[in-house]
Amino acid sequence: MMRRVGVLRRFRGVRRLSSSPIRGGRAYLALAGLLACGGTALAQEALVTAQLGNAVEVVDLASRKILQSIPVPGAPAGIALSPDRKTAYVTRPEGHGVSVIDLAARKVTASLDLPGGPLGIGVNPKSGEVYVADWYGTRVFVLRPGAEGLTLEGEIATGQSPSGIAVTPDGATLLVANRESDSVSIIDVASRRETRRVAVGQHPFGLTLSADGATAYTANVVSNDVSAIDIAAGRETGRVATGQRPYVIALAAGKGFVTDQYSNTVTVFDPASLKRLAAIDVGDHPEGIAATRDGRTVVVANWGDNSLSLIDPSTLTITGTVETGDGPRAFGDFLR
Amino acid sequence: MKFRTLAAVAALATVTFAAQAHGPTRQKVSESIEINAPADKVWAIVGNFQDGSWIPLVEKTEGKGGNEVKATRTLTLKGGATVEEELAKYDAEKKTLMYRINKVDVKTLPVNDYSSTIEVEGEGDKTKMTWRGAFYRGYMNNDPPPELNDEAAKKAVLGLYKAGLENVKAKAEKGS
Repeated sequence: MMRRVGVLRRFRGVRRLSSSPIRGGRAYLALAGLLACGGTALAQEALVTAQLGNAVEVVDLASRKILQSIPVPGAPAGIALSPDRKTAYVTRPEGHGVSVIDLAARKVTASLDLPGGPLGIGVNPKSGEVYVADWYGTRVFVLRPGAEGLTLEGEIATGQSPSGIAVTPDGATLLVANRESDSVSIIDVASRRETRRVAVGQHPFGLTLSADGATAYTANVVSNDVSAIDIAAGRETGRVATGQRPYVIALAAGKGFVTDQYSNTVTVFDPASLKRLAAIDVGDHPEGIAATRDGRTVVVANWGDNSLSLIDPSTLTITGTVETGDGPRAFGDFLR
Repeated sequence: MKFRTLAAVAALATVTFAAQAHGPTRQKVSESIEINAPADKVWAIVGNFQDGSWIPLVEKTEGKGGNEVKATRTLTLKGGATVEEELAKYDAEKKTLMYRINKVDVKTLPVNDYSSTIEVEGEGDKTKMTWRGAFYRGYMNNDPPPELNDEAAKKAVLGLYKAGLENVKAKAEKGS
């Protein structure tokens, strides 16, 4: 166990340093190769919120099996992980709150009730603060993790129906997609205030950051496109068309991957040129999507037919399917 | 009387949460039926988006765009209520189509953001027809009244699907 954590830290360190794409990429590939060959290769897990099944499922991506189903009432939907990846925070929009899961014990250890409709969730990678968006409101709750679970520390005003949340790698800036305001709030974490609001496409839902934290992408559910945002400049720099009802974006192998809820596809785009590259057929109503830590697999939660699709981001092919519980959403940072 | 109460609730919901799209928990329903008729015959009944006469209570279908993606239709039900729908996917070879409701009163069908898929699969001289739906409840905020909660939405859609599939089975199995 200790050894695994050590490997994980080293592995992440290399990733963060790789600002020079070619060199860093090589070192990263070499390390990934080592990890794959060694007996201590990382067990990669997907933590899937099965919203209609009222459970969070721990899925081993190598064996493609559910290791454990953890009961979580209240239609669990959003998920985020603590900076050390040992704890999962899960939103319960119908049960109005957040559940805390110890991922080693695979148990719910704490719960906090919240007003409104807690849905989108994100964690500050530096401070560990947890941010929860109120789908029915115009606010993000700020929660502080402690030995006893989570405490509500405050609120930050946003646009209407805040949805997807992301925090820059330096922990200084929080970004929130405001679904009903067609905008993104850029929030200064220290002062807990919105400093800028950026207009994007219609009804942005998922929000994903580039690895360097300079660019944000939103999936615009109604205008059927993805907006790219230059965070420092505080403006939208372009859009790329997607399938119908784009929901969430993942970045892997230098490409962007968007779940298209109504098209049952994942649209692949080039984040640099914002050109559409391909569409990959996946399951029914794809929703949550994320790249594994090693960047070799993109995992898609298919809400309609209760499955995960695994995509190789280099070849753009489906490499596997995993059955899940009812109504997988996996909205957020659900891989570790 | 009941209709009036529901209509009042719906009006209130529209005024108060006009900008809200839907609740946070989408529901789904799937219903299948085995029909003793070839798939081509079943598809001839359900595969024309501009003819919704197989759906219970539909009196009239008016639309444009044929069976092309983005084609629209307005179903007029017995009693005068209307449902506005749009075709999202159409594959005659696979005998499947997907459409969504753009506009319906929750007193007609207590759902929001409804999408639906119809699949017709031939199994020899028999056919399996499946009707699937994904939707949010009629009430768009916390603490829905019982008429507009998740269970009411699922019950209404499932009832529609069962009656619709029985209708198609009866039509397809009757004569040639």
